[in-house]
Amino acid sequence: MELKQVEAVDVINMKYFLVLLFPLGLVFGQNNYKRAVLDAVEVDMLMSVYSQEGDHAAVTGGIGTEKLSDISPSLLIQIPLSEDGVLTVDSGISKYSSASSSNVGPFDGSNGASPWIKSSGASQDDVLATTKLSYTHYSDNRNFIVSANGYVSKEYDYNSIGFGGGFSQLFNNKNTELGINANVFLDDWKLIYPVELRIIEGDVVGITSLFGDPITGGRYLSDFTSFSSTDRHSYSLSFSVSQTISKYVQAAIFFDVVQQEGLLSTPFQRVYFSDRADYFYGDASGINNYANPDNRNLFHLADDVERLPSSRTKLPWGMRIHAYLSETFSLRTFYRYFSDDWGIYSNTVQVELPVRLGTQFSITPTFRYYDQTAANYFKPYNQHLSSQSYYTSDYDLSSFTSHQFGIGLGYRDASTKLNFWKLGLKSIQIRIQQYDRSDGLKSFSTSTAFSFVIN
Amino acid sequence: MMSLLLCLLYSCASVKEYDKMYLNDPEVQLTDPICMRYEINYQLYREGASGANGAKTGGGCGCN
Repeated sequence: MELKQVEAVDVINMKYFLVLLFPLGLVFGQNNYKRAVLDAVEVDMLMSVYSQEGDHAAVTGGIGTEKLSDISPSLLIQIPLSEDGVLTVDSGISKYSSASSSNVGPFDGSNGASPWIKSSGASQDDVLATTKLSYTHYSDNRNFIVSANGYVSKEYDYNSIGFGGGFSQLFNNKNTELGINANVFLDDWKLIYPVELRIIEGDVVGITSLFGDPITGGRYLSDFTSFSSTDRHSYSLSFSVSQTISKYVQAAIFFDVVQQEGLLSTPFQRVYFSDRADYFYGDASGINNYANPDNRNLFHLADDVERLPSSRTKLPWGMRIHAYLSETFSLRTFYRYFSDDWGIYSNTVQVELPVRLGTQFSITPTFRYYDQTAANYFKPYNQHLSSQSYYTSDYDLSSFTSHQFGIGLGYRDASTKLNFWKLGLKSIQIRIQQYDRSDGLKSFSTSTAFSFVIN
Repeated sequence: MMSLLLCLLYSCASVKEYDKMYLNDPEVQLTDPICMRYEINYQLYREGASGANGAKTGGGCGCN
């Protein structure tokens, strides 16, 4: 009897205990439940095909063909390491073929040398390989996000190692987000100069029959000196603030501080001085027609290579506003103002109007306007003076405007009904873009992205 | 830029999670489409300005 009483008391106590625990269980149960940041491995297969044409090749001092083609496949894999952390592996290659780069060594012996024709030298094509690893960790309430990354890239004459990290803090019911990111890139050049500047006691390696200055009949000589440093270091701090404006509109502001140090010149970009005698190689009868694309067998030997300051500070800021306009239309806008201490000031405006076609398809007309002032050190072909400290004839640093028109096509299926082996197709994106620069450079690019979830 | 920032923060709307279906639309999110990174890369090489768009801020010579 006594034993039964004790058991009954124990059962009652246990009930009270469970009743007391119930609200605590609710509280802690809610806190302990959290949905994983990423449920499954996601894979993005990307590909871009790019081609361009222009008449201001920097390798040949601001005139010459800029014909270039590039194909760039990439693979981006996101792996959930825990409920809170995602590892991203982003690898790709970029295989390019460049007429202007080929003219680092234009005297291939098979054709005439000219800035307007591609040579068959080793510098005509190359492969850039890149890999970036990043890890992102979310706090339990998903309001604090911290990330770290490492980056490495390699091409024949340029290696880069980078690392960085950042954090974001969300508050105001996840309607406001502040972010800070810092990155360092430690790059290293393999110095490759225009072939005629690889001099041995005033002569030119690989050229046996220079005819020198057609006016004076002199022998080609250059007082070219090699760069003393091969390092290029970049340090950047990026700040961002994003804010929900309403149920339909959100916006963000970005501000970067970028400091670059070291060899900021490109060692194989030729420069010609107007106060120095001109030395040509090839058919001397074409000298008056040198800058004409009809020139097929005459090449102007370099006075020097591009020389730019060993420091550059960039201060860009930008703003995005994205809006849901209706069931059919959205609007994406971006503006950026850029300034640096080389004298470049720039405005960028981009507008996109995504149009939904049913629940899965979209088509997006895009437009981008860009303008910039010239860097203090830019002058066109053969207009620099040898007394200047810094000089370049790279039209990427000239004054110009550009317009980019294009279209984006999208397919999305959150339920991933289409499966290929274990890969469920989540989305397809295609972007086709035409780019026209006011100095005559034109480019065309097609980019595709197939996104999968591994089931 | 500071005035823009102040305007942005002053707006400080607080939209509930369940009301964010329009903002969570992939076309309205504040990120670029993934394949747009190629365009940003080409622009970085062909233009003097860069940055403030969430893209890479260094690494690579951009010399071809």
